Amino acid sequence: MSKQGVNRIESLRRRWIAYQLSADVVLALGIGLLTGGLGFYLMALPVIWGLIIFAVALTVLVFTHKPWNVHNSDIAGYLSKEYPDLQESTDLLLQPAVHMNTLQLLARSQAKVALDGLKVSHAYFAKRFKFAVLLLLGAVVLVWVVGKVIPHHHTGVFWSGDKESAKVIGPSEKVLPQIDGVELIVNPPAYTGKGKRTQDRFNLTAEEGAVVHWSIKTNIVIKKAYLIFNDKERIALRNMGEGTEWSASRMIDKPGFYQVSIDGKLSDLYQMQVVKDGPPVIHVKVPKQYTYIDAGEVQQVNISAALNDDYGIANALIIATVAKGRGEGVKFKEYKLNFNTTFGDRKAQYDVQKLIRLPALNMEPGDELYFYVQAQDTHQQQSRTDVFTVAIQDTAELLSMDGVLSGANLKPEFFRSERQIIIDAETLLKEKDTISVEKFNARSNDLGVDQKLLRLRYGKFLGEEDETVEGPKGADNLASPEDFSNASKILKEYTDDHDKADDAQFFEPAVKAQLKATLTEMWKAELQLRLYKPQAALPFAYKALRLLKDLQQKSRSFVAKTSYNSPPLKPEKRLSGELDKIIQPANRQDIKAPADNQLVLKNAVGVLEILKLKPLLATNDTRTLQLANQRLSEIASMQPGAYLPALGAMRRILSLQKISLQDVNTVERAIQKTLSAVKITPKAAESSTDMGLSKSYYKNLKQVNN
Amino acid sequence: MQANWIYIVMITCIILAIGLVLQELRRANKHWLLWRVLAIVVACVGLACIALPLSYQIRVALKDKHKTTLLTEGFDVDSLDKNAKQVTFDEDIKKAFPHVQLITPKEINKTDQLHIYGYGLTGSDLQQLAGRSIVFHQANTPAGTTNLSYTSRLKTGDVLTVQGSFNNTSKQKVKLVLKALNTGLDSVIVAPKSGSTFTLTTLPKTSGRVVYTLTSDGETQGSLPVEVNPVKTLKVLMLSASPDFESKFLKNWLSGNGYAVASRAAISKDKFTTEFINIPQFPLDRISASTLNKFDVLIGDLSVLSNLSDAESAALKQEVTDNGLGVIVKADSAGGKSSWLQRGFPVDRPSGKEPAPATLLINGAKSLNKLGAGNAYINYQNGTQPLVTGAQNHILANSALSGSGKIVFTTLNNTFSWMLAGNKADYTTLWSALITKAARKSNDLADESSAATLPVTGQPTQLTVLDSKRLSVNINGDNIASIQHLNIPFEWDVLYRPTAVGWQFVHQNGNTNWFYAYPQTDWLAIQAVAKISATKNYEMLNEKTDIVTKQIQETVRINVPKIYFYILLLAACTFLWAETKIS
Repeated sequence: MSKQGVNRIESLRRRWIAYQLSADVVLALGIGLLTGGLGFYLMALPVIWGLIIFAVALTVLVFTHKPWNVHNSDIAGYLSKEYPDLQESTDLLLQPAVHMNTLQLLARSQAKVALDGLKVSHAYFAKRFKFAVLLLLGAVVLVWVVGKVIPHHHTGVFWSGDKESAKVIGPSEKVLPQIDGVELIVNPPAYTGKGKRTQDRFNLTAEEGAVVHWSIKTNIVIKKAYLIFNDKERIALRNMGEGTEWSASRMIDKPGFYQVSIDGKLSDLYQMQVVKDGPPVIHVKVPKQYTYIDAGEVQQVNISAALNDDYGIANALIIATVAKGRGEGVKFKEYKLNFNTTFGDRKAQYDVQKLIRLPALNMEPGDELYFYVQAQDTHQQQSRTDVFTVAIQDTAELLSMDGVLSGANLKPEFFRSERQIIIDAETLLKEKDTISVEKFNARSNDLGVDQKLLRLRYGKFLGEEDETVEGPKGADNLASPEDFSNASKILKEYTDDHDKADDAQFFEPAVKAQLKATLTEMWKAELQLRLYKPQAALPFAYKALRLLKDLQQKSRSFVAKTSYNSPPLKPEKRLSGELDKIIQPANRQDIKAPADNQLVLKNAVGVLEILKLKPLLATNDTRTLQLANQRLSEIASMQPGAYLPALGAMRRILSLQKISLQDVNTVERAIQKTLSAVKITPKAAESSTDMGLSKSYYKNLKQVNN
Repeated sequence: MQANWIYIVMITCIILAIGLVLQELRRANKHWLLWRVLAIVVACVGLACIALPLSYQIRVALKDKHKTTLLTEGFDVDSLDKNAKQVTFDEDIKKAFPHVQLITPKEINKTDQLHIYGYGLTGSDLQQLAGRSIVFHQANTPAGTTNLSYTSRLKTGDVLTVQGSFNNTSKQKVKLVLKALNTGLDSVIVAPKSGSTFTLTTLPKTSGRVVYTLTSDGETQGSLPVEVNPVKTLKVLMLSASPDFESKFLKNWLSGNGYAVASRAAISKDKFTTEFINIPQFPLDRISASTLNKFDVLIGDLSVLSNLSDAESAALKQEVTDNGLGVIVKADSAGGKSSWLQRGFPVDRPSGKEPAPATLLINGAKSLNKLGAGNAYINYQNGTQPLVTGAQNHILANSALSGSGKIVFTTLNNTFSWMLAGNKADYTTLWSALITKAARKSNDLADESSAATLPVTGQPTQLTVLDSKRLSVNINGDNIASIQHLNIPFEWDVLYRPTAVGWQFVHQNGNTNWFYAYPQTDWLAIQAVAKISATKNYEMLNEKTDIVTKQIQETVRINVPKIYFYILLLAACTFLWAETKIS
């Protein structure tokens, strides 16, 4: 009895679960369609993303709702609430009758009767499902509208347009009717680290050195088949079974084109593009081309470089050469230094670094380090950078008087002063342990004063104010009574009547800038000296001295090399000796103008121009075009991408089939592209047919003038 | 009745006037009496005039009662006289306007006056009108290329310059593209609603006959047939005062291109080193007329040329002025006597710092690289044509005519440094310009046939052929009759009607020339402009002469409009009425 009631409730529960599950599925479908469709149209994502999102959304929805968690009691509760006929006793149906009292049993039987006759509406159960269907419809409409509005590129269902495997290679190709299908297996060389790939088109793009395997299926049994490369090389296809499957392999190391020949019939021209492996690219970030390590600076150099290659970098080295000594006594020593990185995994990009401690290479002041970075890729191609130079300042050289004594007289005393300050500072440092602190400080301060004086002397060159004289100059010049209210004289006395400080000197702007830099260094040196730190002052003093020496070098004049024309001889003044025995050299030779290697193409243009007007080939013209065809095929084998269509068009013209204007245009365009600019040579003007009119005009003109 | 009516009206009006005047005189208030009387008289006169049929006579020229409208391409429908008889020679117009009668030129009514609408007729059609007068109602200039000029026969290395004017009637800008071998070579934009001139240039890479095309926004305007002929090598004689780099590089470059070069450089007193490339050896110690006759150009240092012996100098002068030898003089620092070659080329040599290297203008085109040209430059004089200018517009190479020859004078003496620097382009441009300017005219004859109008297929073309001998002309295998020009004996006129589009070959006394027959759809605007000018010209030449001598005139009676008299009457009456109200 009660079983029926329970069954009824059970079936309602199943209905609920079914509706909930289908609502989840439809909702997930809507979400998947919406995201997948928008992603496809707006971001060109592959359609598979839509499926993935659908699956994810479905899982999430189902597991958050868990529709199977609905119990019969929930259904009974719902029924009691919705249908008054059941008199709130539906749940009694679910309980075992054994423990019930009479009243309960009565209510239960009544409820059962009512339940049997009850028609439970689908509306409540399907509420969520309806909502989901509406959402799906909305998504369909939205995606459809977006698809209409946004022009989408042609893509397959499971890949996006820009993936390598789906790349359209070259123009659409025609195949011989006998060919049923072709499979090209491109096996890239090991250095690329790429795997095999297959394609079903004849036009191919392969890495340099790749081995390509053709297997061609034919729809009828054929006797012979060849692959003809660049019109020259022939490779026979091997019969792999009953004359309908043929195959061949070849290594591709040069670009070009090929044809398939089946029983003497030639196919279209197919292009072979070769992707060359470039040598590695090295970019040295630090140091600069020329690094100068001043005295007092840390004697080390940090090399940081970025290495890039198409496929992978096998190794990279620093080749360093240390030059010691000078003049004839110079000695070189070469070191090969490895970077701190290992190149085991042959990545395409590396950022490498190396810290070189110069003393570790036995370098001393005055020595120079030359180095370059060399890298090798997986294809055994090497590349290297320019040479970088690191020099350590030679303090002994700087302090020597050689250049100063022999150079121009550019105030040598100033240089000596800067030198003197350095020498004194170094002496002071040596004696530091033997003298008292007060004395040390006093001497350091004295040096600072010297440095200041020196700086002021140089400042004068730059037109800086003389700091030593403060306040207005004496007014004595204005004492005489006749100068009373002489405005110009008063102004002259109380104002600076020289030009602006920046312009009032004899130096060029570059020299001036360097002088200013020198003064800055002197400032810094003075500061350190006055702080009783002669050690810290030394680098600045050295730098100031170096800049001054540079200035001295710059003052030397430079004469640019110019072309030289010998003056004409003056025989009346020279060469009065006997010249009878001197023979006059005479030379005769024939030099032919270089042949125009583009002549065949230029001749072909004439023929093509006639074809444009009258599409009929004469025998002579055919010969001309054949020569041009040969030349064009040479060019096409080097650049198949650019010239293969033209070569195909030329063949069609030569095959004496219907000559189309489009083919002629294609060939002409290619010829115009290959022709190099003409040489410009002198030429004579043409004379005109005038029965000697102009000549007699000149003659008569002359007579009139005479 | 007519006469009676006049009298009746006049008498009635006079009586009326007298009566009214008397009434006025009798009035007590004499205010404005005179004016009132005057108003009455005016009113009566006006009344009479209204009643009378007043008219006057004038003589007017008699107009043609019958006129024929000849419609040609480009006419404006709104401007036509609807009453006139409309005829046309053009089948397309007949198709578009079926009511228009299609006739041949001979069928035009001889007595009717002929009005031509549109672009007019071609020269040959106008000839068939046989001198009868016309009235030409010219249409607006059509859109498209209305004018075109270019050199169709070039030598290798010559720049093709296409100049013309384009009439853009649309509201969009138009892009003109010069194309050859299916490749765009140069382009220019024409502003909307404007007629402007354009220049397109390209350096043809091909040789032989090629048809260039001009397109406007992808639409073909027309063909430009161009023939590029190979350059014939020249013979150059070089005389240097000393063996120098400038001569050496020039000699190497010229001989490397297959040119014949003979060079002589002084190495000591009366001792020379000579070199003959691509030319048989001969003595070069003395310069004679026969030596000079072998060469097209003489390139010499000024010091050599001015120190030539009198005999040599005279021979040179003779060869230049009479036989057209070209001389390129390289100025050097040598003083001494001044030569006739220096005339017209005063050299200024300011002392001081050499100017910085600058780009040169060679025949108006900028050089790619700079050249330190030195201090010296040529002062401009009338009668000379500068070829190369440097910094501050200083002339560095100048040219002048000397009889039938040309003299080029240059102060440049280190152009080889361009060659040393690998700058071949500038060097070749410079020396090509100088030598081309100077070179003796070749015996090759220039373009010997030219067409008066654009030769279009199916239309008769007037060709002018130059030939000094009695002419037999054969075009495309047909012998064509020719007429000698009355005053110019070497000009012959030939009338030919090309049938096929393309190159037409004119064989004349062993020479072959060509002209190009354009398809009828080419250069439509140019054809229209040619028709307009031909028809205008015809109209002007065949003005109706009888108009001046005995113009048919007739006397016309013209009625005076009555409205004026009504106004007079009304004004007078108003005055009278108003006067009674005021007074």
